[in-house]
Amino acid sequence: MVGSRSGVQRVPTHQGRGWAHDSGNHPDAWLNGTGWATGPGAGTAFLPTSPRASTGSRRALCLWLPTFELRLELVRSPELDTTSVALLSSGESTRRSVWQVSERAHEAGVRPGQLVSQAVSLCTSLTLLEPDPAHYDAAVDTMLEVLTELTPIVEPAGRGRVFLGMDGLERLFGSPSRQIDRALRSLFRVFPSPLVAATRAGMAPGKFGAWVAAASARSGEPVIVPEERLSSFFSRCPVGALPVDPLVVQRLERLGIGTLDELRRFPEPSLVAQFGEDGKNALAWATARRIDPVRPWHRPRPIRASLEFPSPVGLIDTLHGALDRLAERALSRPSRRGRSVTGVRLGAHLEGGGSWFVESVLREPTSDRERIAAPLRAKMAISPPPKAVETLLLELTSFGAPSAQTGLFDRKVEGGRDTGGHALASGEVPPTLRDAVKELKLRLGHSPLYRVVEVDPWSRIPERRHALLSFDP
Amino acid sequence: MTVRVDEHGEPVHVRLPGKTARRVAVVRERWRIDDEWWRRTISREYRTIVLDDGKVITLYHDLLDGAWYVQRG
Repeated sequence: MVGSRSGVQRVPTHQGRGWAHDSGNHPDAWLNGTGWATGPGAGTAFLPTSPRASTGSRRALCLWLPTFELRLELVRSPELDTTSVALLSSGESTRRSVWQVSERAHEAGVRPGQLVSQAVSLCTSLTLLEPDPAHYDAAVDTMLEVLTELTPIVEPAGRGRVFLGMDGLERLFGSPSRQIDRALRSLFRVFPSPLVAATRAGMAPGKFGAWVAAASARSGEPVIVPEERLSSFFSRCPVGALPVDPLVVQRLERLGIGTLDELRRFPEPSLVAQFGEDGKNALAWATARRIDPVRPWHRPRPIRASLEFPSPVGLIDTLHGALDRLAERALSRPSRRGRSVTGVRLGAHLEGGGSWFVESVLREPTSDRERIAAPLRAKMAISPPPKAVETLLLELTSFGAPSAQTGLFDRKVEGGRDTGGHALASGEVPPTLRDAVKELKLRLGHSPLYRVVEVDPWSRIPERRHALLSFDP
Repeated sequence: MTVRVDEHGEPVHVRLPGKTARRVAVVRERWRIDDEWWRRTISREYRTIVLDDGKVITLYHDLLDGAWYVQRG
């Protein structure tokens, strides 16, 4: 189908900065005519790309599977397909809330965000499912893998949503509708038909256009918006679809500005005066002046270490001990050599099914076990595993710049095996470094090496923050 | 390092050691530090500037000796 359908366009209200962050907050909009299941999308949000950026693909295809996680659960347990099902939110073990609900559960009055007690009182036959993020992430990985064969420019935006850069693919795959067919057929290779059949597809210039197109599409009826029609396509789009601060959207709606058409009647200075940069950006999107290209996604290659317990473990102290061992193991991997760690993720397979994850971005790049484990322990205290743990997994997800020099200081070579993560402060000096200093002393008569010591890290005077101490082990 | 200033004392051209002179595109931030008067007084005016090639550097004007320095680290 080319162009938008007649009637009022339905685009989910946006929550939070960044596009497509939390789709499906207005379940009714989605269920009407297209419904199957409802609930917010999940996973990481992506931020709008800077308008100054010139790389990436201008032509964007958005593939969106609403309630992706719940659909995956139903694919795994098809017997639940005809029952009322709700997927629980991950997080604290008390006062759990509902994350996604099936259509039947929705009919019974169950809504995402409700407490479990409320949901069960509304629908006594409700089946509650523990979330299994590890399973969902594996499905996303598979999806991205397959789509990368179609185009090198693939940008995930949350778990059930992905943008594909389609510039220059006409000669390979033909018209835009053929390109979409091709993308959907790729998904059929890895997902069962009911899951792919529910995919909404939208193609337009820029990610915002593609997202609005996908959000207003029906399953099996992709919406393709040509460049010249983009501005008119946006006219009925509600302001809630804008990837701006929800408070800005709320204020716009209170002022009676419901659609992008109404928004673009205002002069830019007025919007900037009222809403600052958000106002300026909103107008740029509404008038189709701002086209955010799809950016190639850098596929992370995490270093993983896991520990399977002989029997499920619920004691936090035991998990802390296991975390320390895992951190040591992950740091000692050869692939970590010369790199510091900036992001970590701790997960667990739970007793009786389901999984659990916490993530942390480290304040400073480090290769120290304790600095990696401490923030994860803090996260674990806030959001402990809801059930006993069968397998604990640690992932080093992002890394600092590679450096050959740091390797000299943070690891010790013992019989060719890298034991990793040793701080000089503990008094233990790697033999390689000791030998290097000895050689330099023989040549120069003194050690020309210095150790950087943090003296007053918050000093207003930069040179007071660190001091150099002579290093002579 | 050589810094050329305008009539208000604001840097307009900066030449870093071993580099060609660059025009100051924007002064992003400006702050002053007066400290350590009890030993060796420090009195500096810092500026974070963007050069016309996009490079961001932090300079300070030592108000005691009148010289300009680039802040590293």
